[in-house]
Amino acid sequence: MDERIRDAFDSIHAGEELKESTRAALANARTRRRRPARYLAAVACLVLLVAGIGGYQFYFAPTSVLSIDINPSLELGVNRFDRVVTVQSYNEDGQALADTLELKYLDYREALDQLLASPDISERLAQGALLSITVAGENETQCGRLLAGAEACTAGQENVSCRHGNAEDLEQAHHAGLSLGKYQAFLELQALDPTVTAEDVAGLTMRQIRDWIDALEQGVPAEGESQTGGQSGHGHHYGWHE
Amino acid sequence: MRDEAETNRAIERYGDTVRRLCMIHLKNEADTQDIFQTVFLKYLLHDRPFESEEHEKAWFIRVTLNACRDLLKSVFRSRTVPLEELSTQIAHLTDERREVLSAVLELPRREREAVYLHYYEGYTAPEIGRLLGKNINTIYTHLARAREHLRERLGGEDHG
Repeated sequence: MDERIRDAFDSIHAGEELKESTRAALANARTRRRRPARYLAAVACLVLLVAGIGGYQFYFAPTSVLSIDINPSLELGVNRFDRVVTVQSYNEDGQALADTLELKYLDYREALDQLLASPDISERLAQGALLSITVAGENETQCGRLLAGAEACTAGQENVSCRHGNAEDLEQAHHAGLSLGKYQAFLELQALDPTVTAEDVAGLTMRQIRDWIDALEQGVPAEGESQTGGQSGHGHHYGWHE
Repeated sequence: MRDEAETNRAIERYGDTVRRLCMIHLKNEADTQDIFQTVFLKYLLHDRPFESEEHEKAWFIRVTLNACRDLLKSVFRSRTVPLEELSTQIAHLTDERREVLSAVLELPRREREAVYLHYYEGYTAPEIGRLLGKNINTIYTHLARAREHLRERLGGEDHG
Protein backbone atom coordinates (compact mmCIF):
# COMPACT_ATOMS: atom_id res chain seq x y z
CA MET A 1 0.00 0.00 0.00
CA ASP A 2 2.92 2.34 0.72
CA GLU A 3 3.99 2.13 -2.87
CA ARG A 4 0.49 2.79 -4.20
CA ILE A 5 0.04 5.85 -1.99
CA ARG A 6 3.48 7.16 -2.93
CA ASP A 7 2.79 6.63 -6.60
CA ALA A 8 -0.61 8.32 -6.39
CA PHE A 9 0.75 11.42 -4.65
CA ASP A 10 3.71 11.44 -6.98
CA SER A 11 1.37 12.11 -9.85
CA ILE A 12 0.19 15.38 -8.27
CA HIS A 13 2.21 18.40 -9.33
CA ALA A 14 1.94 22.11 -9.05
CA GLY A 15 0.91 23.17 -12.53
CA GLU A 16 2.92 25.71 -14.49
CA GLU A 17 -0.07 28.07 -14.38
CA LEU A 18 -0.17 27.93 -10.59
CA LYS A 19 3.56 28.59 -10.33
CA GLU A 20 3.37 31.43 -12.82
CA SER A 21 0.50 33.17 -11.01
CA THR A 22 2.43 32.81 -7.75
CA ARG A 23 5.57 34.28 -9.29
CA ALA A 24 3.48 37.21 -10.51
CA ALA A 25 1.93 37.67 -7.05
CA LEU A 26 5.40 37.71 -5.49
CA ALA A 27 6.62 40.25 -8.02
CA ASN A 28 3.65 42.45 -7.12
CA ALA A 29 4.36 42.06 -3.44
CA ARG A 30 7.96 43.07 -4.01
CA THR A 31 6.89 46.26 -5.78
CA ARG A 32 4.40 47.07 -3.03
CA ARG A 33 7.02 46.50 -0.36
CA ARG A 34 9.41 48.79 -2.15
CA ARG A 35 6.86 51.57 -2.30
CA PRO A 36 7.55 52.71 1.28
CA ALA A 37 10.90 53.89 -0.05
CA ARG A 38 8.99 56.31 -2.23
CA TYR A 39 6.99 57.52 0.74
CA LEU A 40 10.20 57.89 2.67
CA ALA A 41 11.64 59.96 -0.15
CA ALA A 42 8.54 62.15 -0.10
CA VAL A 43 8.80 62.56 3.65
CA ALA A 44 12.50 63.36 3.32
CA CYS A 45 11.65 66.03 0.73
CA LEU A 46 9.07 67.48 3.08
CA VAL A 47 11.55 67.52 5.94
CA LEU A 48 14.08 69.27 3.71
CA LEU A 49 11.45 71.76 2.65
CA VAL A 50 10.49 72.49 6.25
CA ALA A 51 14.16 72.67 7.21
CA GLY A 52 14.69 74.97 4.23
CA ILE A 53 11.86 77.25 5.29
CA GLY A 54 13.09 77.08 8.88
CA GLY A 55 16.62 77.83 7.72
CA TYR A 56 15.34 80.70 5.61
CA GLN A 57 13.49 82.09 8.62
CA PHE A 58 16.53 81.48 10.77
CA TYR A 59 18.80 83.40 8.45
CA PHE A 60 16.52 86.04 6.99
CA ALA A 61 14.54 86.99 10.08
CA PRO A 62 15.99 90.18 11.59
CA THR A 63 16.72 89.74 15.27
CA SER A 64 17.91 93.29 15.88
CA VAL A 65 17.52 96.63 14.24
CA LEU A 66 20.04 99.37 13.63
CA SER A 67 18.23 102.64 13.20
CA ILE A 68 20.36 105.14 11.31
CA ASP A 69 19.05 108.70 11.47
CA ILE A 70 20.54 111.86 10.14
CA ASN A 71 17.74 112.93 8.08
CA PRO A 72 17.77 110.15 5.71
CA SER A 73 16.34 107.63 8.09
CA LEU A 74 17.11 104.01 7.53
CA GLU A 75 16.65 100.92 9.54
CA LEU A 76 18.89 97.95 8.97
CA GLY A 77 17.42 94.63 10.08
CA VAL A 78 20.28 92.47 11.31
CA ASN A 79 19.97 88.70 11.62
CA ARG A 80 21.42 86.51 14.36
CA PHE A 81 24.67 86.29 12.41
CA ASP A 82 25.04 90.08 12.48
CA ARG A 83 24.32 90.40 8.78
CA VAL A 84 22.00 92.96 7.29
CA VAL A 85 18.93 91.23 5.94
CA THR A 86 16.47 94.10 5.56
CA VAL A 87 16.86 97.76 4.67
CA GLN A 88 13.87 99.90 5.47
CA SER A 89 13.75 103.61 4.68
CA TYR A 90 11.53 106.03 6.56
CA ASN A 91 11.61 108.98 4.20
CA GLU A 92 12.47 109.84 0.65
CA ASP A 93 16.05 110.73 1.46
CA GLY A 94 16.38 107.43 3.19
CA GLN A 95 14.96 105.62 0.19
CA ALA A 96 17.33 107.43 -2.15
CA LEU A 97 20.25 106.50 0.07
CA ALA A 98 19.12 102.88 0.33
CA ASP A 99 18.85 102.73 -3.45
CA THR A 100 22.42 103.87 -3.98
CA LEU A 101 23.94 101.40 -1.56
CA GLU A 102 24.01 97.64 -1.56
CA LEU A 103 23.80 96.92 2.12
CA LYS A 104 21.96 93.65 2.17
CA TYR A 105 23.86 90.57 3.34
CA LEU A 106 26.80 92.63 4.45
CA ASP A 107 28.16 92.36 7.93
CA TYR A 108 26.56 95.25 9.84
CA ARG A 109 29.96 96.86 10.38
CA GLU A 110 30.67 96.87 6.67
CA ALA A 111 27.19 98.23 6.07
CA LEU A 112 27.83 101.05 8.58
CA ASP A 113 31.20 101.80 7.00
CA GLN A 114 29.56 102.06 3.59
CA LEU A 115 26.83 104.29 4.93
CA LEU A 116 29.25 106.63 6.68
CA ALA A 117 31.43 106.74 3.59
CA SER A 118 28.54 107.50 1.26
CA PRO A 119 28.68 111.09 -0.06
CA ASP A 120 25.19 111.76 1.18
CA ILE A 121 26.03 111.04 4.80
CA SER A 122 29.63 112.14 4.89
CA GLU A 123 28.71 115.56 3.48
CA ARG A 124 25.94 116.03 5.99
CA LEU A 125 28.25 115.05 8.82
CA ALA A 126 30.83 117.48 7.56
CA GLN A 127 28.18 120.17 7.68
CA GLY A 128 27.54 119.42 11.31
CA ALA A 129 24.48 117.23 10.97
CA LEU A 130 23.93 114.70 13.68
CA LEU A 131 23.87 110.99 13.03
CA SER A 132 22.17 108.78 15.51
CA ILE A 133 22.57 105.04 15.51
CA THR A 134 20.10 103.24 17.72
CA VAL A 135 20.27 99.54 18.37
CA ALA A 136 17.23 97.60 19.48
CA GLY A 137 16.23 93.97 19.57
CA GLU A 138 14.98 91.15 21.73
CA ASN A 139 18.42 89.70 22.31
CA GLU A 140 20.34 91.86 24.76
CA THR A 141 23.62 90.12 24.05
CA GLN A 142 23.37 90.80 20.36
CA CYS A 143 22.27 94.38 20.96
CA GLY A 144 25.27 94.94 23.20
CA ARG A 145 27.53 93.47 20.56
CA LEU A 146 26.01 95.53 17.78
CA LEU A 147 26.23 98.69 19.83
CA ALA A 148 29.88 98.07 20.59
CA GLY A 149 30.52 97.34 16.93
CA ALA A 150 28.68 100.48 15.85
CA GLU A 151 30.62 102.58 18.34
CA ALA A 152 33.86 101.14 17.04
CA CYS A 153 32.85 101.92 13.45
CA THR A 154 31.98 105.49 14.26
CA ALA A 155 34.79 106.17 16.70
CA GLY A 156 36.39 108.70 14.41
CA GLN A 157 33.17 110.62 13.81
CA GLU A 158 32.41 113.66 15.88
CA ASN A 159 28.71 114.03 15.33
CA VAL A 160 27.64 110.48 15.70
CA SER A 161 25.95 109.07 18.73
CA CYS A 162 25.21 105.46 19.38
CA ARG A 163 22.60 104.30 21.82
CA HIS A 164 20.48 101.46 23.00
CA GLY A 165 16.84 101.32 22.12
CA ASN A 166 14.31 98.82 23.22
CA ALA A 167 12.03 96.51 21.33
CA GLU A 168 8.91 98.17 22.68
CA ASP A 169 9.96 101.62 21.48
CA LEU A 170 10.84 100.07 18.15
CA GLU A 171 7.31 98.85 17.70
CA GLN A 172 5.83 102.18 18.72
CA ALA A 173 8.23 104.03 16.45
CA HIS A 174 7.06 101.97 13.52
CA HIS A 175 3.50 102.58 14.56
CA ALA A 176 4.16 106.33 14.47
CA GLY A 177 5.86 105.96 11.08
CA LEU A 178 9.25 106.99 12.43
CA SER A 179 12.53 105.23 12.58
CA LEU A 180 13.58 104.24 16.08
CA GLY A 181 16.33 106.85 16.42
CA LYS A 182 14.02 109.65 15.45
CA TYR A 183 11.21 108.30 17.63
CA GLN A 184 13.44 108.33 20.69
CA ALA A 185 14.47 111.88 20.00
CA PHE A 186 10.78 112.67 19.56
CA LEU A 187 10.04 111.14 22.98
CA GLU A 188 12.69 113.37 24.56
CA LEU A 189 11.19 116.37 22.85
CA GLN A 190 7.69 115.43 23.84
CA ALA A 191 8.75 115.12 27.48
CA LEU A 192 9.72 118.79 27.32
CA ASP A 193 6.81 119.91 25.19
CA PRO A 194 3.82 117.63 25.27
CA THR A 195 2.21 119.40 22.35
CA VAL A 196 4.76 118.10 19.88
CA THR A 197 3.48 115.33 17.64
CA ALA A 198 5.23 112.68 15.60
CA GLU A 199 4.25 114.48 12.40
CA ASP A 200 6.06 117.60 13.63
CA VAL A 201 9.38 115.80 13.75
CA ALA A 202 8.96 113.47 10.79
CA GLY A 203 10.46 115.92 8.31
CA LEU A 204 13.18 117.29 10.58
CA THR A 205 16.80 116.30 10.62
CA MET A 206 18.28 114.91 13.78
CA ARG A 207 20.22 118.13 14.17
CA GLN A 208 17.01 120.15 14.06
CA ILE A 209 15.32 117.93 16.64
CA ARG A 210 18.39 118.04 18.86
CA ASP A 211 18.61 121.80 18.66
CA TRP A 212 14.94 122.02 19.46
CA ILE A 213 15.47 119.87 22.55
CA ASP A 214 18.46 121.94 23.57
CA ALA A 215 16.45 125.11 23.19
CA LEU A 216 13.61 123.75 25.30
CA GLU A 217 16.03 122.53 27.95
CA GLN A 218 17.59 125.94 28.14
CA GLY A 219 14.18 127.47 28.49
CA VAL A 220 14.49 129.37 25.24
CA PRO A 221 11.16 129.54 23.54
CA ALA A 222 11.92 128.01 20.23
CA GLU A 223 9.82 127.31 17.20
CA GLY A 224 10.99 123.80 16.40
CA GLU A 225 9.54 123.77 12.95
CA SER A 226 11.36 126.95 11.98
CA GLN A 227 14.75 125.90 13.30
CA THR A 228 17.31 125.68 10.64
CA GLY A 229 19.85 123.94 12.86
CA GLY A 230 22.94 122.11 11.79
CA GLN A 231 25.37 124.99 11.78
CA SER A 232 26.19 125.31 15.43
CA GLY A 233 27.35 121.90 16.44
CA HIS A 234 30.56 121.37 14.49
CA GLY A 235 33.04 119.22 16.24
CA HIS A 236 30.72 118.51 19.08
CA HIS A 237 30.00 114.95 20.02
CA TYR A 238 26.52 114.71 21.37
CA GLY A 239 26.38 112.38 24.26
CA TRP A 240 22.64 112.22 24.63
CA HIS A 241 22.50 108.63 25.32
CA GLU A 242 23.29 108.87 29.01
CA MET B 1 12.90 40.15 1.69
CA ARG B 2 14.13 37.26 -0.40
CA ASP B 3 15.16 37.90 -3.99
CA GLU B 4 13.49 36.56 -7.10
CA ALA B 5 16.03 33.78 -7.66
CA GLU B 6 15.43 32.44 -4.16
CA THR B 7 11.65 32.43 -4.44
CA ASN B 8 11.78 30.88 -7.91
CA ARG B 9 14.02 28.12 -6.58
CA ALA B 10 11.63 27.53 -3.66
CA ILE B 11 8.61 27.39 -5.98
CA GLU B 12 10.35 24.76 -8.09
CA ARG B 13 11.57 22.78 -5.11
CA TYR B 14 8.56 22.91 -2.80
CA GLY B 15 5.72 23.75 -5.19
CA ASP B 16 4.68 20.09 -5.55
CA THR B 17 4.74 19.55 -1.78
CA VAL B 18 2.60 22.61 -1.14
CA ARG B 19 0.24 21.55 -3.92
CA ARG B 20 -0.19 18.05 -2.44
CA LEU B 21 -0.78 19.42 1.05
CA CYS B 22 -3.39 21.75 -0.41
CA MET B 23 -5.05 18.82 -2.11
CA ILE B 24 -5.45 16.83 1.08
CA HIS B 25 -7.20 19.81 2.72
CA LEU B 26 -8.88 21.78 -0.01
CA LYS B 27 -11.26 20.73 -2.63
CA ASN B 28 -11.03 23.47 -5.19
CA GLU B 29 -8.47 25.18 -7.36
CA ALA B 30 -9.22 28.73 -6.24
CA ASP B 31 -8.45 27.92 -2.59
CA THR B 32 -5.34 26.02 -3.65
CA GLN B 33 -4.13 29.05 -5.55
CA ASP B 34 -4.79 31.28 -2.52
CA ILE B 35 -2.83 29.04 -0.20
CA PHE B 36 -0.05 28.54 -2.71
CA GLN B 37 0.45 32.30 -2.96
CA THR B 38 0.08 32.82 0.78
CA VAL B 39 2.78 30.26 1.55
CA PHE B 40 5.30 31.65 -0.91
CA LEU B 41 4.55 35.23 0.16
CA LYS B 42 5.41 34.17 3.71
CA TYR B 43 8.60 32.68 2.36
CA LEU B 44 9.36 35.94 0.52
CA LEU B 45 9.13 37.82 3.81
CA HIS B 46 10.79 35.17 5.95
CA ASP B 47 14.29 36.56 6.30
CA ARG B 48 15.77 34.18 8.83
CA PRO B 49 18.02 31.55 7.29
CA PHE B 50 17.16 27.86 7.52
CA GLU B 51 19.57 25.47 9.19
CA SER B 52 19.22 22.87 6.46
CA GLU B 53 17.06 21.75 3.57
CA GLU B 54 15.09 19.52 5.95
CA HIS B 55 14.44 22.50 8.16
CA GLU B 56 13.28 24.50 5.15
CA LYS B 57 11.00 21.71 3.92
CA ALA B 58 9.49 21.26 7.40
CA TRP B 59 8.87 25.01 7.46
CA PHE B 60 6.96 24.79 4.18
CA ILE B 61 4.88 21.87 5.43
CA ARG B 62 3.99 23.59 8.68
CA VAL B 63 3.16 26.91 7.04
CA THR B 64 1.03 25.22 4.38
CA LEU B 65 -0.92 23.13 6.89
CA ASN B 66 -1.53 26.19 9.08
CA ALA B 67 -2.64 28.25 6.11
CA CYS B 68 -5.06 25.51 5.05
CA ARG B 69 -6.50 25.24 8.54
CA ASP B 70 -6.89 29.01 8.79
CA LEU B 71 -8.72 29.03 5.49
CA LEU B 72 -11.02 26.22 6.58
CA LYS B 73 -11.72 28.00 9.88
CA SER B 74 -12.42 31.28 8.14
CA VAL B 75 -15.88 32.62 8.89
CA PHE B 76 -16.27 33.46 5.25
CA ARG B 77 -16.04 29.83 4.44
CA SER B 78 -19.38 28.61 5.67
CA ARG B 79 -20.04 26.98 2.35
CA THR B 80 -19.08 23.36 1.85
CA VAL B 81 -17.22 22.38 -1.20
CA PRO B 82 -18.65 19.40 -3.00
CA LEU B 83 -16.39 16.44 -3.46
CA GLU B 84 -17.08 16.49 -7.16
CA GLU B 85 -14.79 19.48 -7.52
CA LEU B 86 -11.95 17.40 -6.23
CA SER B 87 -12.67 14.66 -8.70
CA THR B 88 -12.13 17.15 -11.52
CA GLN B 89 -8.69 17.84 -10.11
CA ILE B 90 -7.66 14.22 -10.27
CA ALA B 91 -9.73 13.29 -13.30
CA HIS B 92 -6.64 13.15 -15.51
CA LEU B 93 -4.99 10.47 -13.36
CA THR B 94 -5.08 6.74 -13.99
CA ASP B 95 -7.86 4.74 -12.34
CA GLU B 96 -5.46 3.22 -9.85
CA ARG B 97 -4.06 6.57 -8.70
CA ARG B 98 -7.47 8.17 -8.62
CA GLU B 99 -8.80 5.36 -6.47
CA VAL B 100 -5.93 5.61 -3.98
CA LEU B 101 -6.15 9.39 -3.72
CA SER B 102 -9.92 9.30 -3.32
CA ALA B 103 -9.53 6.76 -0.52
CA VAL B 104 -6.92 8.91 1.25
CA LEU B 105 -9.00 12.06 0.84
CA GLU B 106 -12.03 10.41 2.36
CA LEU B 107 -10.12 9.90 5.63
CA PRO B 108 -10.60 12.39 8.50
CA ARG B 109 -8.30 15.40 8.16
CA ARG B 110 -5.78 14.40 10.88
CA GLU B 111 -5.41 10.96 9.37
CA ARG B 112 -4.97 12.40 5.88
CA GLU B 113 -2.13 14.59 7.10
CA ALA B 114 -0.46 11.68 8.90
CA VAL B 115 -0.80 9.37 5.89
CA TYR B 116 0.67 11.93 3.50
CA LEU B 117 3.56 12.84 5.79
CA HIS B 118 4.34 9.23 6.63
CA TYR B 119 3.75 7.37 3.36
CA TYR B 120 4.75 10.04 0.92
CA GLU B 121 7.20 12.35 2.68
CA GLY B 122 8.72 9.51 4.70
CA TYR B 123 8.53 11.14 8.13
CA THR B 124 8.41 8.82 11.15
CA ALA B 125 5.64 9.13 13.73
CA PRO B 126 7.87 11.05 16.22
CA GLU B 127 8.92 13.42 13.41
CA ILE B 128 5.29 13.99 12.44
CA GLY B 129 4.47 14.61 16.11
CA ARG B 130 7.15 17.32 16.29
CA LEU B 131 6.12 18.79 12.96
CA LEU B 132 2.45 19.06 13.88
CA GLY B 133 2.99 19.71 17.55
CA LYS B 134 1.08 16.57 18.49
CA ASN B 135 1.63 13.71 20.89
CA ILE B 136 3.46 10.81 19.21
CA ASN B 137 0.85 8.31 20.39
CA THR B 138 -1.83 10.39 18.74
CA ILE B 139 0.08 10.16 15.49
CA TYR B 140 0.45 6.40 15.88
CA THR B 141 -3.28 6.17 16.45
CA HIS B 142 -4.05 8.30 13.38
CA LEU B 143 -1.74 6.17 11.26
CA ALA B 144 -3.17 2.91 12.55
CA ARG B 145 -6.74 4.02 11.94
CA ALA B 146 -5.90 5.38 8.51
CA ARG B 147 -4.19 2.14 7.56
CA GLU B 148 -7.24 0.23 8.66
CA HIS B 149 -9.55 2.40 6.60
CA LEU B 150 -7.36 2.23 3.54
CA ARG B 151 -7.01 -1.51 3.78
CA GLU B 152 -10.77 -1.81 3.85
CA ARG B 153 -11.12 0.50 0.95
CA LEU B 154 -8.23 -0.51 -1.28
CA GLY B 155 -7.60 -4.11 -0.37
CA GLY B 156 -5.16 -5.73 1.92
CA GLU B 157 -1.54 -5.70 0.73
CA ASP B 158 -0.33 -3.43 3.50
CA HIS B 159 3.37 -3.38 4.16
CA GLY B 160 3.33 -0.19 6.26
